[in-house]
Amino acid sequence: MIWFTWRQFRTQTWVIVGALAVLGVLLAVTGRQIVDAYAAANVAACHGDCDAAIANFLSEVRTGAGGRVFDLANAVMYVVPALVGIFWGAPLIARELETGTHRLAWNQSVTRTRWLATKLAVVGAVTAATTGLLSWAVTSWAHHIDHATGDRIRPLIYGARGVVPIGYALFALALGVTLGMLIRRTLPAMAATLAVYVVAVAAMPEWIRAHLLPARHATPPLDVSRLHEIAIRPAGRITIIGDDPGSAGNAWVLSNQTITPTGHLFTGPANPQFCGPDHGPRSCMDWVATLGLRQDVTYQPANHFWPLQWAETGIFVVVAVLLACFCFRWTRRHLT
Amino acid sequence: MSSPALHAEGLSKRYGRRVALSDCTLAIPSGRVVGLVGPNGAGKTTLLQIAVGMLPPTAGRIEVLGGQPGSGAAQLARVGFVAQDTPTYAGLTIADHLRFGAHTNPGWDQRLADERIATLGLDPSQKAGKLSGGQRAQLGLTLAIAKRPDLLILDEPVASLDPLARREFLRSLMTYVAEHGASVILSSHLVSDLERVCDHLVVLVASRVRVAGEVDDLLSSHHRLTGARRDPADLPACVEVIEDSHTDRQSTLIVRSTAPIDDPSLTVEQITLEDLVLAYMSQAATAPGRTAVLEHR
Repeated sequence: MIWFTWRQFRTQTWVIVGALAVLGVLLAVTGRQIVDAYAAANVAACHGDCDAAIANFLSEVRTGAGGRVFDLANAVMYVVPALVGIFWGAPLIARELETGTHRLAWNQSVTRTRWLATKLAVVGAVTAATTGLLSWAVTSWAHHIDHATGDRIRPLIYGARGVVPIGYALFALALGVTLGMLIRRTLPAMAATLAVYVVAVAAMPEWIRAHLLPARHATPPLDVSRLHEIAIRPAGRITIIGDDPGSAGNAWVLSNQTITPTGHLFTGPANPQFCGPDHGPRSCMDWVATLGLRQDVTYQPANHFWPLQWAETGIFVVVAVLLACFCFRWTRRHLT
Repeated sequence: MSSPALHAEGLSKRYGRRVALSDCTLAIPSGRVVGLVGPNGAGKTTLLQIAVGMLPPTAGRIEVLGGQPGSGAAQLARVGFVAQDTPTYAGLTIADHLRFGAHTNPGWDQRLADERIATLGLDPSQKAGKLSGGQRAQLGLTLAIAKRPDLLILDEPVASLDPLARREFLRSLMTYVAEHGASVILSSHLVSDLERVCDHLVVLVASRVRVAGEVDDLLSSHHRLTGARRDPADLPACVEVIEDSHTDRQSTLIVRSTAPIDDPSLTVEQITLEDLVLAYMSQAATAPGRTAVLEHR
């Protein structure tokens, strides 16, 4: 049964492995340049204020091929799990049901439980191995860039690093198998798999990941010289949002509001004596600085990266296992 | 080989409100070649799929070779099944199919499989998707018999084959049965396909078993009576009328009677198996509520 599963599945495997090998070559070629640029910009050796060194390094990377490979690699990390679900998961059972070959397979001396278990085990192992290897390659390739930008805990980069891609891929696989089993048609099952995968991965950061670990909360004084946004509306309503506070480090900021000394959301009114069309922005800023405003920030700090990664991977793997359990039950009871 | 090949009691299958098989009670002894005959949609496929464990019944009991269908690897190993339209993996070669069989069946007989493929003149490296319908049916049969089952179940194996392929297929099947002594159940909507090969017949019409028994017993207990026009109810109680047709002057009756019919006003004729099956089918069509008493032995 293991041999046969591999025999049915090997063409798709070689296609994806081939594509990943091409990516691997790209990473290997550009990886050297990044290491060199990192050394040349002296990022590792800088003390205190590293901003200039980091800016040099990043602009060096962006102008070279590395910048494009960086974007490509991030995209690939999100696309590969979807491909796994669509091309490995959805057809795994649906194709057999569609062509009636399950009637052939189930009448060999192998129970359908073992039939399904072997398929899931073989394809699941290849999935985990491929995405694990891919994520390891991309994560180590992008190590210096991520270190310089401090971005890796923020949603777009986070999902393309570490162990979560394995969780996404196993989830997409189980999802494809389940939908294929229920829909019994390969193409609609592929489309449904893609739709559900996109929704799940898009919904993950805000709805679930942000709450996996208790977020930190800080209320630093508002630094008027570092504002993200200031807007004064006709009725004197004023909206001020400060930059992400330095005290949070390279954090993933979940919410950022400006509050008054009494702890209420600051909405104005703007004092027309200082703020308004007749006055320059300078006088308005100076007035704001006298109000004693504070930032009210919740965030996941950079050192939550690995705990969040493991927790999120765990969630996806558990969902994948539950889907697989459902598949076993469905195969035994309802599939004909 | 002591337990019956198939034993069903009150077996029913419904899909929602549609009844596919209704209160089916059957005892098929082992060592027979059994024909399961009925029009399309009569429930043949349902019965066979229940027998191999593909489908769970809604009600009733069934035992195949003394075991529960599909209850485990051991039961699966004892029953070979060729599904309707003989599905095969289009992208895989004949050799791949045989290797699949070898990997998944403990009793696999590779020599038998290789010999059959060679006899059929098939190239093992050919993709199954490129085979003709007849060749595909032969590949399906090869897979089913090389696992050396005690019972071979074939669902409409020849329905989609041309007459030559049909004959070749049945010849292959009978060669295997003669050499290995397995029991066989095969279904068809045409009794003419089965006439030459079966020694036991089950007629299934509109989800019910109408008649079942050894072919010889069926033929010796059914007769065609012709005579002056008369009311079928006048016949003795031991004679059961299966089908009656009348012209102005003459009545033709197909009846079942275990006792000899010695009514001088009637001509008694032998009937063919085909006539017998057709009589039961038309009986079901005209009087769907009536069910023939089963042939109990």
